[in-house]
Amino acid sequence: MAYAYLFKYIIIGDTGVGKSCLLLQFTDKRFQPVHDLTIGVEFGARMITIDGKQIKLQIWDTAGQESFRSITRSYYRGAAGALLVYDITRRDTFNHLTTWLEDARQHSNSNMVIMLIGNKSDLESRREVKKEEGEAFAREHGLIFMETSAKTASNVEEAFINTAKEIYEKIQEGVFDINNEANGIKIGPQHAATNSTLSGGQGGQQAGGGCC
Amino acid sequence: MDGPDPQEDSFRHGDGSDSRPTRDEGDQDHALPRNTSPANQRTAIKLPNGHVSCMCDARDPSPQCSGEVVVNGELLSVAESSAAPSTSSLLCASRPQSGHVSPQDDEDEPRGRRSSSSSSEAVDRTRESETASNDCLSEAEPCSSRTLSSPEDSESCSDPAFMDVSLCSRNTYEISRRQSAPDNVAEPAEPDLRQKKHGISEIFGRGLFSRKQKESASAPGWKLFGKVPLRESPPKDSKTIQQESNPGNLTSVSTPNLLSAGEYEAKTVKGAHSPSQPSQGRRKNLEFEPLSTTALILEDRPANLPAKPEEEAQRHRQEYDEMVAEAKRRELKEAQKKKQQMKERFKQEDSIVNAMVVWNTEVLPNWDSMRSTRRVKDLWWQGLPPNVRGKVWSLAIGNELNITPELYEIFLSRAKERWRSFRETGSEAEAEADSGASLADRESSLDLIKLDISRTFPSLFIFQKGGPYHDLLHSVLGAYTCYRPDVGYVQGMSFIAAVLILNLEEADAFIAFANLLNKPCQMAFFRVDHELMLKYFSVFEVFFEENLPRMFSHFQSSNLTPDLYLIDWIFTLYSKSLPLDVACRVWDVFCRDGEEFLFRTALGILRLYEDVLVHMDFIHMAQFLTRLPEHVSAERLFSSIYSIHMTSSNRKWPQVFSALMKDKESDKSGSPTLKSS
Repeated sequence: MAYAYLFKYIIIGDTGVGKSCLLLQFTDKRFQPVHDLTIGVEFGARMITIDGKQIKLQIWDTAGQESFRSITRSYYRGAAGALLVYDITRRDTFNHLTTWLEDARQHSNSNMVIMLIGNKSDLESRREVKKEEGEAFAREHGLIFMETSAKTASNVEEAFINTAKEIYEKIQEGVFDINNEANGIKIGPQHAATNSTLSGGQGGQQAGGGCC
Repeated sequence: MDGPDPQEDSFRHGDGSDSRPTRDEGDQDHALPRNTSPANQRTAIKLPNGHVSCMCDARDPSPQCSGEVVVNGELLSVAESSAAPSTSSLLCASRPQSGHVSPQDDEDEPRGRRSSSSSSEAVDRTRESETASNDCLSEAEPCSSRTLSSPEDSESCSDPAFMDVSLCSRNTYEISRRQSAPDNVAEPAEPDLRQKKHGISEIFGRGLFSRKQKESASAPGWKLFGKVPLRESPPKDSKTIQQESNPGNLTSVSTPNLLSAGEYEAKTVKGAHSPSQPSQGRRKNLEFEPLSTTALILEDRPANLPAKPEEEAQRHRQEYDEMVAEAKRRELKEAQKKKQQMKERFKQEDSIVNAMVVWNTEVLPNWDSMRSTRRVKDLWWQGLPPNVRGKVWSLAIGNELNITPELYEIFLSRAKERWRSFRETGSEAEAEADSGASLADRESSLDLIKLDISRTFPSLFIFQKGGPYHDLLHSVLGAYTCYRPDVGYVQGMSFIAAVLILNLEEADAFIAFANLLNKPCQMAFFRVDHELMLKYFSVFEVFFEENLPRMFSHFQSSNLTPDLYLIDWIFTLYSKSLPLDVACRVWDVFCRDGEEFLFRTALGILRLYEDVLVHMDFIHMAQFLTRLPEHVSAERLFSSIYSIHMTSSNRKWPQVFSALMKDKESDKSGSPTLKSS
């Protein structure tokens, strides 16, 4: 299917916080209680609509283990959005946010939109991180914040879509140079032809093959 | 004549998955749940005798069909203990003659009938028999009820009783009956028949039993069924439509085996003798015979029913023939396929046995002299027999590290100590909260191993908590982190250890594990030595371009770099991405050929899917390669791997690799995405 824009997302965060489950819930609308371990990187894609425009999300789901950080770092390049995930039932995953954020800021485009996600909100009884703490962290670092549950699907759509809205607004404001693919945005084949205001030249903009 | 009649539908409340009335329903007679779902009609097929029957295949039963099955009460099913291949069983029992059924009867089947004066007795009997049959059928029940509720399960349901279900749609049949014999009201109470039927009804849901009662009156005009003991006539004859009517003698099919446990010696319909006695030997002959086809019987319309117009009869006969032909075709095809599969399997088993003998008697005793011979190498490529696999892997991996079982025990007890102290201090550390100091340790620690073990081959259910290999896997990984604290536990290791545990004893698995991870390629990856990994990817790309130039340039133009898929493949040695049996075969040759085979396998996979991949864009390729199709045939993969040649301009893998290593200092360019940042 044709799309107006393609956004690259990266999902990061400690191992076992539910990154792959969030992705699966978002792309397939299902939950797998025991998900395979992610080694290296896995991928997901889905089309969403914002402001009447078709936007294709290309999502990179990374391995969370510390040892893989160096590999993960190379995947920030070209991401327009990042979902930084922690597990509300494991405080250490929250405590690691700072290092994740450093990595993200350092290796990505400075305009990359980061959504902080406290996952597993269905496990209220095992909660170790208060929602307020997540909110405070997000405020302090200029992130969007949401608590989600990949299991119940609560807020999962919103997390992915709100991130896209934020990116879209930045495009509208001209913050993103959409002609620079390093920003993680590609103009869809169709859109590129008609869009004169946003894209000056379209060289090399053959967005990902154009097939959805 | 065959429109759905909602009232009739009330018989079918037992159909379908949803309602399965409990058996103590005091008055089923009156309180039959009504399921008026029109879906019930959908599977109905019009049969030559003017009735509509539900054609169902046991392989593809739909709830509606399952329900119908009972209807006729006379269960034609034969339960033999031999694992019956799933077969289609079709039965259409035509309603008996008219004689006794009143329209009212039809409309109000359960209720009207039961409430009629003669029926009260019948009800009692019914209950009795129900009880009796429960005992007999209790075994069959779980299976059949499962089938009812989820059609897909039917295949796995091995209870033959269920496979042999007869199917019959009553609905239209009732209607037609009504039409044809509007005036007959008498109702025969046939307690004995009823008894027989109830047993069966138990299987499908008790509510149906009322329906059965009625059925008992029926002398089926014709029926389709598989594996029914109707075998007096040779299969070919069964297809024929008999023209003369033999009203008295219609078929009852007994269900001796289904009910065998009990006193229910399946009986025949009213005094009629059963045309068929179940013959025990019969089933065997059926092995590759089209089952339902041979069992399809069209009997004549009972004389006391008004005759069908010739034209209609003709048409029905033709339809019937078509159905039979279709069923036969399908079954023949299935049977052939099965036969082929069996043949292949036997062949495979034979060759495994032969190979096993060779490995055990010739190769293993003379390992050092034989291992590099052409013959052994060829044998090796074919795949190691499972029971020598572990041994061969161990020998091939070697034990450069000189690890002994005692050493393993030492590291294991050290690991256990650490766990203990970790558990004790764990809570304190938590209390001290954000000190942050212990956090890094923790992640690399045994805690993470625990988390990952449950995510290792989750579908096998053997490594998860409580599973037979959970502790073993934990031990091997834990001991390794104590043995090589410099490497520690890295994700992916759990898969390698798991595969080894499946093939070797604990200490041997550890020894193989430690030595395997000590190989240069594995060490580079598990230490996440980025530079070195890039070298491996670059070498891989050399052979990629050499072997699959078209795909290589497609990958390049899509910016799909090898790290995106190779990392997972190499870290887990394919055990996560390929089916386990196929992965083991890759391991076999990896043990024979070393690291280059891992990359050759990668090229084999790419080559296998080349036609699909070259038409995909980045994201689809990336998704495809990080989640390969579930069914990968080892044969196809290996023949694909076979055609990958690991030479490039006369250089083999090691030469290319060392050449690149030499360039290391001068040239820093590697895989574009993996440039370390």
